[in-house]
Amino acid sequence: MEHKISDNELLEELKRRFEQNKNAVKELKSLNDELKTVNKKLEESEAMKSHFISNITNEIINPFTSILGLSRAILSVDKENWKKVVSMVALIHSEAFTLDFQFRNIFVAAKIEAGEVFPEILNVDVENLIEGVIESFKLEARKKKLHVNLEFNIKSDNSPYLFKTDPEKLKLILANLLSNAINFSFEGGVIDIVTSYEKESLVILVRDHGIGISKENQKVIFDRFKRLDSGINSLNRGHGLGLSVNKAIIEMLNGHMDIKSELGKGACFTIHIPETDIPATDFASDANETFFDSEEETF
Amino acid sequence: MVVMDELNTHFLYPAALFASKLPHRVSTILGSCVAVCLFDPVLKIGGINHFMLPFWNGQGLASPKYGNIAIERLLEKMLTLGSQKKNLTAKVFGGGEVIETNISQFHIGERNIQIAIEMLDELRIPVVAKSLGGKLGRKIEYNTGTGEVKQKYIERSITLK
Repeated sequence: MEHKISDNELLEELKRRFEQNKNAVKELKSLNDELKTVNKKLEESEAMKSHFISNITNEIINPFTSILGLSRAILSVDKENWKKVVSMVALIHSEAFTLDFQFRNIFVAAKIEAGEVFPEILNVDVENLIEGVIESFKLEARKKKLHVNLEFNIKSDNSPYLFKTDPEKLKLILANLLSNAINFSFEGGVIDIVTSYEKESLVILVRDHGIGISKENQKVIFDRFKRLDSGINSLNRGHGLGLSVNKAIIEMLNGHMDIKSELGKGACFTIHIPETDIPATDFASDANETFFDSEEETF
Repeated sequence: MVVMDELNTHFLYPAALFASKLPHRVSTILGSCVAVCLFDPVLKIGGINHFMLPFWNGQGLASPKYGNIAIERLLEKMLTLGSQKKNLTAKVFGGGEVIETNISQFHIGERNIQIAIEMLDELRIPVVAKSLGGKLGRKIEYNTGTGEVKQKYIERSITLK
């Protein structure tokens, strides 16, 4: 017996199929939208890559050009004119210093991206380390007549105060923050570095009173080689790779970094780094204590 | 196991990568992170990554902290060491939900597993063994010269990345 489809049933079935189609179209549309977003992101990433290269070029070629030009000029200076030579040598040193610093960031960034960076924890004399970083930027600060103020608010029974962390990484983090603070300060300004110990973390604040960073720009400064597009900044060196390197290595040390800034009123970066004997994820050394008596499986 | 003990050892940190022509015993600890072990049975060499999050969002450094980057980089590294893609096999570990949370969108372990499986599938690298998901952390030890992986479960009370 063949089943006869009534008009009503047919109508219902058609309605159902129509609804199904509508849903499928809807799904396709949302999928399409998703693809469009991903595509846009990829394009952005690609654009950023070329931006990255052009910035690297600027930050390397400019100092090199200065160094070459200045050293050539020195070669042709009259022997009597030593003062001129000294000031040119100072400039060469400054450019070479910047270059060296840029290279360090580029190499560290490349190493992080290759997955070859890991924490190396030691007992660190923090005060001494910070003073060392400030010392290394002394000439840069003097060039802009800046005063760098260190306030060390950690009391310790054992002197000097020792903190377990990765000294080389901490040095680079601070150097990046101080370098930015110097670059974005107005001449004759003050930079404060305040160190304290809160909630089992080392807290270091680096504050300048320079041009500041707007709210929108605060969201993008961690993008590698994104330079903020404003008139004044073109006179200064960019944030460069520094902050994205900082972000990556601070995360590696299980810490975090905050920014507080208002345009025209300077910027304040605060880093929080917890003390670790060994990085939180590495309990290889006391593995047996933390392990269940679970059977070892082989795959 | 005298032979085993003569091997060089390496502790793999999160967001790092390791591959070498020389046989190594690489250990790492996984919570919600995932490690992909690639092995080339022809050259008898291996490499391993340890990623924490599924996707790089285009911000900050493109490090192997992110699954899509970590798997690509590991494959690149194996190819640089002379492997041919068609010979490679994979073993995948981790992705546990070790952090107690009621918020369902934070299922990082699950998303880490998904990206690993999907990418390996796309790359046509067969997954020959896996131990994934669950609520426990894992310690694995990968012999890059034989492709063998030893695994132990670990307590969940520890904060794992």
